[in-house]
Amino acid sequence: MKTYPVPDPPAILRALLLACAGDGHGELIAGDLHEEFLYLCEERGDGVGRRWYASQVVRSLPELLRLRIRSGDLTQLLAVLASVAAPLLLLDRLWCFVYSHIPLKDGLDRAAGLLAVNMAVLCIASAISGALARTARRAATLSLVSAMGVAVALWASVGAAPAWYIAGALLAAPASSLAGYKKWRTQ
Amino acid sequence: MKWVKRIGMAVAALVILPALTLLLLGLRSGAGRVQSSVEVQASPDQLWTWIDDGDHVKQWVSWTVEMKPWSPRAAVGATRSAVMRDANNGGAQMVIDGTCTEYAPPRTLGVKLSVPNEFEGLQTYHLTDLGDGRTRLVIEMSYHFDSALARLMEPLITPSARKKMDGDLARLKSLVESKAELR
Repeated sequence: MKTYPVPDPPAILRALLLACAGDGHGELIAGDLHEEFLYLCEERGDGVGRRWYASQVVRSLPELLRLRIRSGDLTQLLAVLASVAAPLLLLDRLWCFVYSHIPLKDGLDRAAGLLAVNMAVLCIASAISGALARTARRAATLSLVSAMGVAVALWASVGAAPAWYIAGALLAAPASSLAGYKKWRTQ
Repeated sequence: MKWVKRIGMAVAALVILPALTLLLLGLRSGAGRVQSSVEVQASPDQLWTWIDDGDHVKQWVSWTVEMKPWSPRAAVGATRSAVMRDANNGGAQMVIDGTCTEYAPPRTLGVKLSVPNEFEGLQTYHLTDLGDGRTRLVIEMSYHFDSALARLMEPLITPSARKKMDGDLARLKSLVESKAELR
């Protein structure tokens, strides 16, 4: 008997759907779409199936986001984003204040010690936000959001950020978030 | 509730511990004082121009936008102001008023610096002839901040000010030894 490979829906679109739908509805909606996608691929070809899948995901996104806002789910994500970005931005303002008081002024480069303080604070904030997660998927989402919070803070900061600091901060935030989740789970 | 307490305690510790550390560091003997020195292949007379003349000063003190000449003339009691660009304050320009407290060319220059509601300080330049056409320049600076927050942050400000001064002196050495002309 000849077997045909089963097509998969576009991975990026599926991930986008799951990210926007959240834990509550994500798998359910993705499962329904997948069934329909397989049926269309079999009946009308892979190309038609993929186009249909893409259009369904794109058309669903606004409604899914609206549902998440209403459920308070998105609010938590925004709170995590703010709880990571806000301390870093406040520290940036504090370092600006410190540097603007140097009697003969100085540039935007920050001492390594001050960047280390930033790193410690972002790790603590990310770990606390990671501890809010109750499932592994949620922990992964919050870790990504904490990395986004770091990216937002770095973008909005006045002080210069060397490459090692940017890379370290973008890695430390999700790692601390996952560590916070694991620590909470083991207690 | 237990987690809320823990998070509250962690946040409090993050604020209180560094504040206490800064308070204690602010009590050290060298608080608010910066000293830096450099040896330059130039005579004291040649080097004097670089600390006395505003157009020369502007070349090696970074972030200086303008340095006005002494008024009415270079002597004790004369005044001159420096306009600095503050990149940490949205590029705002800050005028630092200077009053000459000691004028003994080519050995010592003392300038009292002040920015109302910001800080007051005394900056002294000492030039020592080392022979063989070499001169040691020592810059001493002591300052006092008006705002309580700036006073608390002094242990962070002073090392950065020293680093900045070291950078400026390295630039001065490079400029003088390459016999740079006025721009």
